[in-house]
Amino acid sequence: MNRCDQARRLFGAYWDDEVTQAEREWLESHLAGCPACRQQYEQFARTLETVGSMPRTDTATDLPERALVAARRAAAVPDRIAVAPVRPMWIQVTATAALVLVAAGAVLPWLGMPGVQQMLAHREARVAEPRIVYATAQAPGQVKSEAALVDSVLNHSEDVEFILDPVVLHRGRAQMPSRLPKGVQGEQAVISF
Amino acid sequence: MGRVAEDDERAFTELVRRFQGRVGNLISRVLNDRENVDDLAQEVFVRVFVHRRNYRRGSKFSTWVFTIAANLAKNEIRRRVRRRNWFSLDALTEMLSDSLPQLADPTESREQGLEREQLQGAVGRAIATVPEKYRLALVLRDIEGLAYEEIAEVLGLPGGTVRSRINRARGMLQRKLQPLLRKQDAP
Repeated sequence: MNRCDQARRLFGAYWDDEVTQAEREWLESHLAGCPACRQQYEQFARTLETVGSMPRTDTATDLPERALVAARRAAAVPDRIAVAPVRPMWIQVTATAALVLVAAGAVLPWLGMPGVQQMLAHREARVAEPRIVYATAQAPGQVKSEAALVDSVLNHSEDVEFILDPVVLHRGRAQMPSRLPKGVQGEQAVISF
Repeated sequence: MGRVAEDDERAFTELVRRFQGRVGNLISRVLNDRENVDDLAQEVFVRVFVHRRNYRRGSKFSTWVFTIAANLAKNEIRRRVRRRNWFSLDALTEMLSDSLPQLADPTESREQGLEREQLQGAVGRAIATVPEKYRLALVLRDIEGLAYEEIAEVLGLPGGTVRSRINRARGMLQRKLQPLLRKQDAP
């Protein structure tokens, strides 16, 4: 490294007054005898003087009050900066799948027990049996009220038919003959599924 | 700051009043943006308030607030660079390369030379083209006048790295401003 390079390396420290006394004396003597380095240092110094003399930026006079309002608002909500790291999605998916497999492994052998199967068969029989719900009896000619209609009667052995309007319930298919007492007229409805 | 940590709002507004100039100046010089400086400075003080209990008693408040401001400025630079429709280093480089030859035009007489405002504008743009990691150190040192040790603390870097970054930033700035300064020196 020649003397000019050495001198230019010291410009920053010299500007900041961070050179030793020996370095200072050496650099000053070099600058006195080297016009190129002297010009370089003058430009360096001018650059930093210009930067340092840049006008200060004014901020709003009401900034303290505005900052206080914003700070109160920010303090009222949980910290917006510290956020728990988001775990990758695959962990959740894998964990759920593993849970389902374990649950299935625990339940399937239990379903194979004779008592359980009997119980399930009995339950299916009960579900399959047509259930008929009688609407409130009413006199002939009396207008049937919506409240008199059954909410739903489900027969799982048939096709599905959704009836949302109680009036449409008339279109349901009766599965069994009427069991209403003689002389009583009423509506009987079965909704088939 | 001790009073602010104990929820003293008057102390907080006093603190803002005392530091708003330095914080605003740091942000505006790093971002070369004077229009949004109030909003960004406000955000710095909001963070000071929200994290007031994290402040270590006995440490220098200016170091802490400059750390927050420097982080915010860094995030803002990255956000703007990502968006590109607001602030673009390429656009700034272009602006600077457009302005410097014009300012350094040798046919222009010294009497028609640069006004101070133009010079400052060119310097501001030149600073903004220095890469972010060097720019922050440069602004903290040569505009805000912080000591190297304090800059090291603000940026979370070793003192040697800070010195080297400031030296490199000064060199870059000198090269960028050379045509302008030569022009001013010309008779």
